[in-house]
Amino acid sequence: MIRTVDLTKRFGSFTAVDKLNLEIGRGEIFGFLGANGAGKTTTIRILCGLTRPTSGRAEVAGLDLARRSEQVKRSIGYMSQRFALYEDLKLRENLVFYGGLYRLGPQTSLNKAKPYLERFAMERYTDELVREIPPGYKQRLALICALTHDPPVVFLDEPTSGVDPQARREFWSVISDLAASGKTVIVSTHYMEEAEYCHRVLIMRDGISAAQGSPAELKAAHGVGSMQELFLLLASGE
Amino acid sequence: MISFSAIVSFLRKEFLQILRSREMLVMIFVFPIVELLFLGFAVSNEVRHVRLAFLDYDRSAESRELVSAFSSTDRFDIVPAEISDTPYTILQSWRAQAVVVIPAHFGRDLNRLDGPALQIVLDGVDGNTATISSAYCSGIIQSFIRKELKSRDPRLLAMLTGQTLTGGVDLRHRMWFNPDLRSSLFIIPGIVAVLVTITSMLLSAMSLVREKEIGTLEQLMVTPVSKIELLIGKLVPFWLISFVQMAISLVFAFLIFGVRPTGNIPALFLFSNVYLFTTLGLGIFISTWSSSQQQAMFFAWFCMVFMLLLGGMFIPVANMPAAIRAIAAINPMNHFMVVVRELVIKGAGFHELHNEFLILLAFGTVCLGGSVIAFRKRV
Repeated sequence: MIRTVDLTKRFGSFTAVDKLNLEIGRGEIFGFLGANGAGKTTTIRILCGLTRPTSGRAEVAGLDLARRSEQVKRSIGYMSQRFALYEDLKLRENLVFYGGLYRLGPQTSLNKAKPYLERFAMERYTDELVREIPPGYKQRLALICALTHDPPVVFLDEPTSGVDPQARREFWSVISDLAASGKTVIVSTHYMEEAEYCHRVLIMRDGISAAQGSPAELKAAHGVGSMQELFLLLASGE
Repeated sequence: MISFSAIVSFLRKEFLQILRSREMLVMIFVFPIVELLFLGFAVSNEVRHVRLAFLDYDRSAESRELVSAFSSTDRFDIVPAEISDTPYTILQSWRAQAVVVIPAHFGRDLNRLDGPALQIVLDGVDGNTATISSAYCSGIIQSFIRKELKSRDPRLLAMLTGQTLTGGVDLRHRMWFNPDLRSSLFIIPGIVAVLVTITSMLLSAMSLVREKEIGTLEQLMVTPVSKIELLIGKLVPFWLISFVQMAISLVFAFLIFGVRPTGNIPALFLFSNVYLFTTLGLGIFISTWSSSQQQAMFFAWFCMVFMLLLGGMFIPVANMPAAIRAIAAINPMNHFMVVVRELVIKGAGFHELHNEFLILLAFGTVCLGGSVIAFRKRV
């Protein structure tokens, strides 16, 4: 579903992403790991069409990003680090608004969101202003907003940062179900125990790929017992 | 391809946000009325209630008549003066802004037609008030003299007016379109122009930048919504609100000041529409170059100050030096101000303003077109 060839992004003299090659298949949960500033978010932003790469090519959902970015946008869902919700709108109104941008009618948007709202037990907030609902639920809402239009590819940029363990477990159970239903999920995270849930991970350091593969393979190859150790070994160069 | 559902979705969201924000509602509906009240009443070149003292050295029936001629108007408030006063002491002590000195034998000279003399001494610190009160004084004195002479012998009047006052030519000034020289009639259309500018330029820029600030613009860029759909969705509400504000201001201008557009109202809205292309375009420009609402506010006010000062709101552009006039010519508000005043005060029709229409249309096309093109690069 996603393929990059020598993807590079420079900001002035700083190279945020350096000749990155990726191949992510359908139904995969693919984790982006790395320290702050390693290039995870930049890579995700390029793949979402928010930032243009300096050089290299990328394909998302089988479409060339440079030439068919409009079609790509219909095929992806994106949840950014700062969940982009309108605090002065009700939960329902946020869903209807984002759904409308994907050409979904208000009722369709709500119907599509309903299973998620039930699953997160947050139907009671439907008619609350977003600014009134607890932060953990805002984050869940941001995830739902990224999913209502059924995108085949979902990008989640640190979706679980700052949420409680309960919410984190819910997030990952949703992510697993998405992958099981054939969607491709790209997740960036700081939490190494979460990395274990990924089918494959990419560990980035200074914009380059330090390692790529399934957690089990990587741990075996580097002779470490946990992703935590692997991360410390590869990502921070310690 | 423009999607209606995306635009409708946007419009619904914008209106929900606007209607839910108290500050926004105050800005939209209360500001016009408050500004109208403040500026309409306060910004005035009219001269009224000028404190006037008489130094009557004549103390005749005629001199008392003259004083009473002044007391029957609200332009002057007569303040008492002592016989020991001089014009200098009165003006110096701020007791009066003007002094009329009636010399001894004024009444006698008037009756004999022997060159009756009066002296008016004015406080020239406020030149505008002095000039205008001087004109008022002359007017009152002239009509006083006409009346006095007429009551004695109409032939005297003919002699006097024919010989001494205007040298045989009977000049009569008539002020067209604003016969009472009310400054509210001049200022209020200006306020309408300013309000429309603020709403469409400042509020639209702020609203766009806010999306940047809270990170939703980035989210919008990931959706298939196109730049055009986004801008239509964001700007149409402010376009409509500008018209609502304009209607409110016109209604209140009538209710409070009795100012009623004498011209073609549909033409006024048509011109405003074209002008809004420019200001909305500037709003987009400002939002493109700002990353926070403070910055947008700063840029917008920077533009506003220029637009206001060179817009003819208070200072007529025609009185400015040629170089400044050239700059003022590229100020869209200047052109819009002319149009609004012509339409409201003079009752001009569309055809008289044909050129201004083309100019505003050119501004609108360049600003809106340019800003829409520039918008993409920064998001």
